[in-house]
Amino acid sequence: MIVSWNWLKEYVLLDMPAAELERRLMMAGLNHESTEEVGGDLGIDLEVTSNRPDCLGHLGIAREVAVLWGRSLKLPAAAPREGAAKVTDLTRVSLECPELCYRFTGRVIRGVKIGPSPSWLVRRLATIGISAINNVVDITNYVLMECGQPLHAFDLAKLAGPEIIVREGRPGEKLLAIDHKTYDVGLGVCVIADAKRPVAIGGVMGGAESEVTEATRDLLIESAEFAPLSIRTTARKLNLHSPSSYRFERGLDPAGVDWASRRCCELILDLAGGELAAGSIAVGRTPPVREPIVLRLAQLPRVLGITIAADEVRRILQALGNREVKADSQKVEVIPPSWRRDLTREIDLIEEVARIHGYEAIPEDVSVPMAPSARSDEDRVLSTIRHVLTAAGFDEALTLSAVEEEWSQAFSPWTDAAPLVSPTPILRRADRLRRSLVPSLLGARRTNETLANPTIELFEIAKVYLPKPGALPDEERMLALTSGGDFFAVKGVLEALIARLNPAARLEVIDASLELLDSGRECELKLNGERLGFLGEASDQGLKQFELRGRTTVAEVRVSQLIKAARLVPQYQELPAFPAIGRDINLELPEAIRWADVAAIVSERSGAALESLEFKEIYRNDALRSAGRKSMLFSLTLRSREATLTNAEADAIRASIVAACGERFGAVLRA
Amino acid sequence: MALAEFLAELDQLQADAECTFQSAADAEALEAARIEFLGAKSGRLKAVQKGLGAVGKDDKPAAGKRFNEVKQAIDAAFEAAQARASAGGGKQAASAEFDPSLPGRRPRLGHLHPITQTIEDLKEIMGRLGFTVTEGPEIEDEWHNFEALNIPAEHPARDPLENFYLSTAQALAKSSGQTTGQPLLLRSQTSTVQIRVMEKTPPPVRIISLGRVYRPDTADATHYPMFHQIEGLLVDRRVTMADLKSVLRLFARSFFGGDVHIRFRPSFFPFTEPSVEVDMSWHDRWIEMGGAGMVDPNVLKAVGYDPEEVSGFAFGLGVERVCARRHHVTDIREFYKNDVRFLEQF
Repeated sequence: MIVSWNWLKEYVLLDMPAAELERRLMMAGLNHESTEEVGGDLGIDLEVTSNRPDCLGHLGIAREVAVLWGRSLKLPAAAPREGAAKVTDLTRVSLECPELCYRFTGRVIRGVKIGPSPSWLVRRLATIGISAINNVVDITNYVLMECGQPLHAFDLAKLAGPEIIVREGRPGEKLLAIDHKTYDVGLGVCVIADAKRPVAIGGVMGGAESEVTEATRDLLIESAEFAPLSIRTTARKLNLHSPSSYRFERGLDPAGVDWASRRCCELILDLAGGELAAGSIAVGRTPPVREPIVLRLAQLPRVLGITIAADEVRRILQALGNREVKADSQKVEVIPPSWRRDLTREIDLIEEVARIHGYEAIPEDVSVPMAPSARSDEDRVLSTIRHVLTAAGFDEALTLSAVEEEWSQAFSPWTDAAPLVSPTPILRRADRLRRSLVPSLLGARRTNETLANPTIELFEIAKVYLPKPGALPDEERMLALTSGGDFFAVKGVLEALIARLNPAARLEVIDASLELLDSGRECELKLNGERLGFLGEASDQGLKQFELRGRTTVAEVRVSQLIKAARLVPQYQELPAFPAIGRDINLELPEAIRWADVAAIVSERSGAALESLEFKEIYRNDALRSAGRKSMLFSLTLRSREATLTNAEADAIRASIVAACGERFGAVLRA
Repeated sequence: MALAEFLAELDQLQADAECTFQSAADAEALEAARIEFLGAKSGRLKAVQKGLGAVGKDDKPAAGKRFNEVKQAIDAAFEAAQARASAGGGKQAASAEFDPSLPGRRPRLGHLHPITQTIEDLKEIMGRLGFTVTEGPEIEDEWHNFEALNIPAEHPARDPLENFYLSTAQALAKSSGQTTGQPLLLRSQTSTVQIRVMEKTPPPVRIISLGRVYRPDTADATHYPMFHQIEGLLVDRRVTMADLKSVLRLFARSFFGGDVHIRFRPSFFPFTEPSVEVDMSWHDRWIEMGGAGMVDPNVLKAVGYDPEEVSGFAFGLGVERVCARRHHVTDIREFYKNDVRFLEQF
């Protein structure tokens, strides 16, 4: 809302510097955006919050100034001289949609002389950025910007007959508005119509055919109150936002409808002449009666933490337009003004008193009692994950929660349910809530490839959205990675992470076949027997789909399983008192036997003596290959907690392992 | 062999050994010297020891004593040289080949996203002030995102164009208790979490909720349709706006350092009354911190609290804005591009 300094002076004494006015208005709730000098006047742009439509006119701002400086407010009389003819003989109004238009009033002025506005009026409108058109149109704009109530002047002669109908638009109806664009004013849109057709979009914009021109003689002045929700819907639907719709959307002073009409007529009579028909046509509801509100004075310190003198409280409330009904040492009872529909409760009055009294009075150094605050297990695990991954050389990415359809379809390892869709894309084409982080990370990878960044190691911790029939979706937090390293590089990172969270946690792999991944280099992961996630190198097809040049390994695991497995408070294990003894084993065995199979035998045969088992290498030569065999080298560290393990005992364990591998896998010891 | 001859031989040996050990440039040279002088089979000390047998019987005690002294001296010289070698070259003139100014072999360290770093700092400070971190769903029903927050159906904030409603929501929400018949949407603020916590927890409550929120803003240098919010809530008996101001000041002083002051400007949020914009003094000017206010009695009632018994305050900050200001990031879209050259700056 831009206000003109000179205009504001009509209503309240301004003897302070403009900067001081701006500052105090800001501290009372009207944020100062900017001030511009326009032809010897100042256009001061103030931000008006949506609860204060009363400040969408100069009078509202002037009232705030008057309250803040303790000054009186001068209101125009709005008492136009009426002629002999009766308005009811000249026009009729029927309101057919009281749910869209609460109240409609009309006055008629005959015999006006259309011409340019006087220069004071032109200048004031210019200061706030409105160009002058002709005296009548300028006056409707002037009154709009004076009190915030939109008005419309119809050329009475251009209406088909004397009757005005306020009704809902009919399917297929169109209207050429004064912006010379044609709008569909169908169902749900409130239109002002004559006997034949809509002549205005109620509360939004007038029609071109009935607009005031040089030739206009007789006027119908509309001042109405439209339903905020209906105006908002219409403005959106037609993509037509006007100063009128802006104000009606926020809800106007129901008692101001008639005042604005009278004020408008008063100015037209003054500046354009003509004769006002006696009386007005008013249909629809009368302004609702306001209930009194009780403000208990003890509530002020309870909410604000400061005491404000009762006299000051009463002064502020009354200056703001509240009518005091009762007051004693404990409480004040007031009826709020019609233009303050936001004031309905005690707490609303407390805010009014506080903002006018000034929030500067509230201290910023009271002591607040201490309270415990615990860090959640989840927080601690997330912190560990981040430490391990950054130590492993991964950068943390943050990507959008939604992806475009192709990416959404490309990969959904957690659910077959269709993704949730937002009809409005979140960004560009991304309208599907993601069911995996991997496509987004591959997208980030591509961005980095495009920028020729040599090393792209990324992880993200974020939620995926897994739809569930008949309930809020499962929002499961995932850890996902994309690396330029191979399968085992990324597997090693995950193993290190899990070992950090709990060295005793059991990570297993299961064969898997996932979209995007190379069928020879992928697996599903289980942690302590529960599904953890997956890991694999992207297939050629997958790389192509994401337009990636370099190879990448991706993984995605469920953070909930990491939290479940984590041992957040490790328990001390007594350090061993006896020396360890090492044994290497080199087995030749069939290709089909996996490390996990061998490791299981080792663990079974060594029992408590096994301190650690280390894989060394797999070796193949032509002879082995042609026999479908491979050689596997590993070493174990054995230690007893009771005594020094002897060579003989270690050898026995080794022999037992070799024997078992021989028996179960057909493994033989290599030299 | 004459005693004098034997002793001379010992002296020569000691001098040679000490000199050689001392000048051994590296472990390899030292090992060669050790074998030359102290080798068990053919070391020079061993050779000299053989000469001891040839010394006359009367001279033997003196020769033996001297031999032991020399042996100890050579051993000591070796150990000293060894200690120097293992200490990394010792105090002797370093080899010209050694260039300590060459770069070390650095492990590659990853970087946490600056947004995460800011969130962690904010959480840590609020934790010290007694606020416990809570989280909630990003996909919400209208009760938690609007109604319980005192945002009625006709409020502009509920316009479908101001929110990301989810298209299959109607079908999804059909049989889920409180959300029956309600459409779902991506939350537009983390205050939803406050409602969920208060619904489950009797007062007092002292929490911060944080996470991703979504609003249909066109992406530009200062807007992104997804961003992070951190919101604090304190509800208890006798909580006032002075507590709010004081907590915010403690927070600002902890986060930004220095003697920061807090200023309130009246504002409007449906879920707080009074509502304020919070500014803090920073390098002699006021900068915006975020929004705050006293929890609206309607919100307290919506979660089953008695506004006559308890009061509370709430405040919210946009994490991107705090983070951008802190690191002088001029375009918040950088946060979501994930260019590793950007990420590695933090």
